[in-house]
Amino acid sequence: MTRPTLASVDSDEALTEAVATLCGWTRAELLRGAALGGAAMVAALAAPSEAAAAQLDDTAILNFGLRFERLQSTFYTEAEQLGTVATMGDRKAGWARTLGAHERAHVRIIKSVLGRKAEGPPKFDFGGDTESPDSFTRTAVAMEDLTVALLTGALPLVKDKGITAAFFGLLTVEARHAAWARHIVGASPAPAAFDTPRTIHSVQGAIDRTHFVAREPRTVSRGQRPRFTG
Amino acid sequence: MREGARPEDAGAWSRAGFLRAALAGGAVVSGGAVLGAGRRDAGARAAAPPHRDAEVLNLFLTLEYVQQAFYEQAVRSGGLDGPLREFAATVAGQEAQHAAMLRERLGRRANPRPKSDAGEAVRSPEAFRSTAVDLEEAVIAAFVGEGANLSRATIVPVTTLISVEARQAAWIRDLAGVSPAPRAADPARKPDAVLDELRTKGLLA
Repeated sequence: MTRPTLASVDSDEALTEAVATLCGWTRAELLRGAALGGAAMVAALAAPSEAAAAQLDDTAILNFGLRFERLQSTFYTEAEQLGTVATMGDRKAGWARTLGAHERAHVRIIKSVLGRKAEGPPKFDFGGDTESPDSFTRTAVAMEDLTVALLTGALPLVKDKGITAAFFGLLTVEARHAAWARHIVGASPAPAAFDTPRTIHSVQGAIDRTHFVAREPRTVSRGQRPRFTG
Repeated sequence: MREGARPEDAGAWSRAGFLRAALAGGAVVSGGAVLGAGRRDAGARAAAPPHRDAEVLNLFLTLEYVQQAFYEQAVRSGGLDGPLREFAATVAGQEAQHAAMLRERLGRRANPRPKSDAGEAVRSPEAFRSTAVDLEEAVIAAFVGEGANLSRATIVPVTTLISVEARQAAWIRDLAGVSPAPRAADPARKPDAVLDELRTKGLLA
């Protein structure tokens, strides 16, 4: 496979570190350990600037959350439909199916909140990452850690208290997914006392580099033809 | 594949279901004031957001103290080995860091460390597992219920702590042989209910 996977393209720390364990990159893991007390805490304690927060209203944040949940739900659903999940043994298959069901539920939750303001679904192309158990699992681990980083970064920007409360209940489930995924592959489920938040912009960058989003919603541009659609 | 076309998902989250959840969240949010009303320090109740933050942060601090004491006691008891011991030792350290961060943010307003004695709960691996699962679930429900009451500046660091609490819950549930993520969305619980449960278990004096 010539195309990079989500697990391999991201140069930012959170995602690379998540994958480092799986690939046996002990040096990266060591660097991670060294950085925990510093970078993670600094990032965690830095409040988002009011200027940055003002640019994103709740609808924009929810729509980005929707896009990300669609990416995940399509990924898991496709791996099930291709039969990849069925080959993985009971424990892993149960994990993959549960995550798929949850991500589909998250899509519906966010869509129902947005109502008519919900964006249409993009077309996704996972370039083979849903076809082998190994690449599926590695991408899933990276994706779940990325989701935690996204939600810890975006949740504080939400202005509506009811939506904030609901987002907390989604964040904890995504963090459970991430820990479960890491445990399945033999990595530490909770590698640090604090998760490192990422901005929506940073997460968008990580997704862009995977080329998983083959076509934006409601555009006429013709990109690579996806095999599956969300 | 159409979104939501899966039969096993059907009905799990209808629009009404979400609205109920949102309303429940809202109820907890507005109910947050009741938490303060029950306190002796009535002055904090009507005060500015920093004081509201302090109430919530102190609740979270108490929960972190309870967890730290439980896991430290479990490690000291010597009754755990293998993955369970690794879990307890790792989490004890993380809860200590959580407590330290909350204490630092609270400064002089930080409540003192409560007394707790896990007693029988750390005597056997089975009892430890079962108590740890209940404890983590109770803590998550309290965080989900009260997190939205924090001001924006305070919510940022607390958010990066809540996700780690959820990771710990999934970890111990996997070790206990129960689903690490049993629901698509975690429910909220009121602080009093959570604190009562911890008292009943002897984890909070």
